[in-house]
Amino acid sequence: MAGMCCGVVGETDSPASSRSSRRRNLDLLPFKYIADMAVSQPSTSRKRRQPDLCTPKDFESCEDTSGDCGKDKNNKKKKDESKVNDKVISENKPSTEGSLEVGEFPKFGVTSVCGRRRDMEDSVSVKPSFSQEPFHYFGVFDGHGCSHVATMCKERLHEIVKEEINEACENLEWKNTMQQGFARMDDEVQSWNSSSQTVTCRCELQTPHCDAVGSTAVVAVVTPEKIVVSNCGDSRAVLCRNGVAIALSSDHKPDRPDELLRVQAAGGRVIYWDGPRVLGVLAMSRAIGDNYLKPYVISEPEVTVTERKDEDECLILASDGLWDVVSNDTACGVVRMCLKAQKQPSPPGSPGNNDVTTDGSDRACSDASILLTKLALARHSSDNVSVVVIDLRRDQRQSSNSKNN
Amino acid sequence: MAKTPETKSRHKMLHTHNPPLAYKNMNTLVKYIEQSILHHQKKMSLHPNNATDDINFDGESFHNFFECWLVEQNQHLNELVAAKSSQPQLAIDRMHTLIDKVVEHYQFYYKEKSRYAKKDVLSMFSPSWISSLEEAFLWIGGWRPSMAFHLVYSKCSMQFQARLNDLIQGLKTCDLGDLSSSQLAEFDDLQKRTIKEEREITGLMAEHQETVADAPMVELSHVVSEIIRDDNQIGEENEKKLEERIESTLEPKVEGLEKILHRADDLRLRTLQGIVSILTPQQGIHFLIAAAELHLRLHEWGKKMDDAKRGNRESESNGS
Repeated sequence: MAGMCCGVVGETDSPASSRSSRRRNLDLLPFKYIADMAVSQPSTSRKRRQPDLCTPKDFESCEDTSGDCGKDKNNKKKKDESKVNDKVISENKPSTEGSLEVGEFPKFGVTSVCGRRRDMEDSVSVKPSFSQEPFHYFGVFDGHGCSHVATMCKERLHEIVKEEINEACENLEWKNTMQQGFARMDDEVQSWNSSSQTVTCRCELQTPHCDAVGSTAVVAVVTPEKIVVSNCGDSRAVLCRNGVAIALSSDHKPDRPDELLRVQAAGGRVIYWDGPRVLGVLAMSRAIGDNYLKPYVISEPEVTVTERKDEDECLILASDGLWDVVSNDTACGVVRMCLKAQKQPSPPGSPGNNDVTTDGSDRACSDASILLTKLALARHSSDNVSVVVIDLRRDQRQSSNSKNN
Repeated sequence: MAKTPETKSRHKMLHTHNPPLAYKNMNTLVKYIEQSILHHQKKMSLHPNNATDDINFDGESFHNFFECWLVEQNQHLNELVAAKSSQPQLAIDRMHTLIDKVVEHYQFYYKEKSRYAKKDVLSMFSPSWISSLEEAFLWIGGWRPSMAFHLVYSKCSMQFQARLNDLIQGLKTCDLGDLSSSQLAEFDDLQKRTIKEEREITGLMAEHQETVADAPMVELSHVVSEIIRDDNQIGEENEKKLEERIESTLEPKVEGLEKILHRADDLRLRTLQGIVSILTPQQGIHFLIAAAELHLRLHEWGKKMDDAKRGNRESESNGS
């Protein structure tokens, strides 16, 4: 239990000697205090940057746009060979041939609740193996004004991205592909607004009103080698690598210095009205939809491409309903603990001892996403809360691999 | 709300009935409960299902019913708390029995309320039995159904923060912090459906309130005003006709209120039952405790505020 407490707070770069004494002290603390500590812990450590402070430099270091296609080609070849195995894999335990598994079935968990809001405007989309390549798609969309833009993103964006990937095929360049996909999504929202389709959402499609509807979008495409995160708005993707939380997206808040300059250069203004807002209206500087705030609010995503490493543990995508009250570090700590705890057999009587739930999600990831959601609610998040947790650990696959062999 | 002299005297009378909810002396409470149960049984026997008109179905008698119901709710609260903290834990079926009893008690409340409302729906919209504080937070004659979900989340927060460590290890805490994935999904679904229905009923109420200014009402108010202005003697027969017309114009307004109240109360009860049915017995007990505690304390605080406002706080009634 003590080890678990320390999972959240004991990840600082403090020397091991003081660490053990701290651990002992923590044993005596009620968890509430520990959890609060984790939240308020200042980001003194180099790697534990607060996401808002994340500079593009962080992303550049992860970026690798060279040689994408060569590898993808190889994978494609490999994939064809293992196509028959894929079916077996999805039915049985995941297995692997090498460290860069091709037919890998992703382990994920999803929770999305209305919470203390009267309207549900969040949408979540999970599409394992969504393209011909062994790529997995995860998206969180937090709507504002109404739910229909977020709903459209949920229903369409993965299809659009898939088309873009297929089109690029031979020279897949992630940044371009994803930006292209988001642009097309935004176009679809616009043309949908001007058409007169019937829909059953709150805004009842009044045209002036409809223009004031939009959504954030944070999308992660997980490939055997890479994590491609495209973000537009204030939802967020966080990678947990070797116990350290690394933001793979940077929130588009109107007061982010580079965003502020961009809005102003486009002729817009950021007005402080219950926090910084574009034209005093929207509390984010990028979004899908929101035609009335164009060109100040744009739909172009920031794309980060991160090479996967063996130390990668999990990826968390969530709406600001989580991030407003739970820090990146705490979120990673909670998920790590859930993934670790799952190695022990679940106690008798706990609901559903299966590792895989009916919707294809993984029990441990599911538990982690619920726990994060409940933590957000417990910390009085007043917004919708949507959380996706993806297990990136390779050791599990290796162990099951050795078992299978 | 202006109180008539009658309501004032009613309040005085009720002070002797006021359950000492913030009781210190167990004996006083036991005695009080015995008395009120007797009183209650006597009253209930007065209200067979085929009630006749000679029984006074007005707000005052519902006031009495409400006071008795509160005492019972307090009793149930004690039983729930005892069940929660009993060692070893109560058998599941005994928990179910207790939960059923408490839920039936709510059901009984709404059954009685609907019976009284048939006779006097207006008193249900300006209830004399609750405090001004509670009245200010009424939604169509009662608590707002979507509030129940906030109650669960708030209680959940307390228990979750306290037990996060256990929960991460996958240990069952058996309280509301322990909501499982399927429970959370069902709960979320019920919440969305409840809010939708709450909006529909709010819409109905809005439409109905607007009919106060419909053509028959405006026309009638004009006709009657003309008569008053002209000081017309319209004759006994015409006067009677006019009275009938007023009555028949107002009747659908009142009837409409009763229908809407019925739907609102129905949603309240279904929400409560729905939440309990999602929860495990242990969680259900935690939920019902939280609901009773909030209701009883809010009532108490509101009464206290009212008393302070009236400036006739009695030293023995609210010994703090």
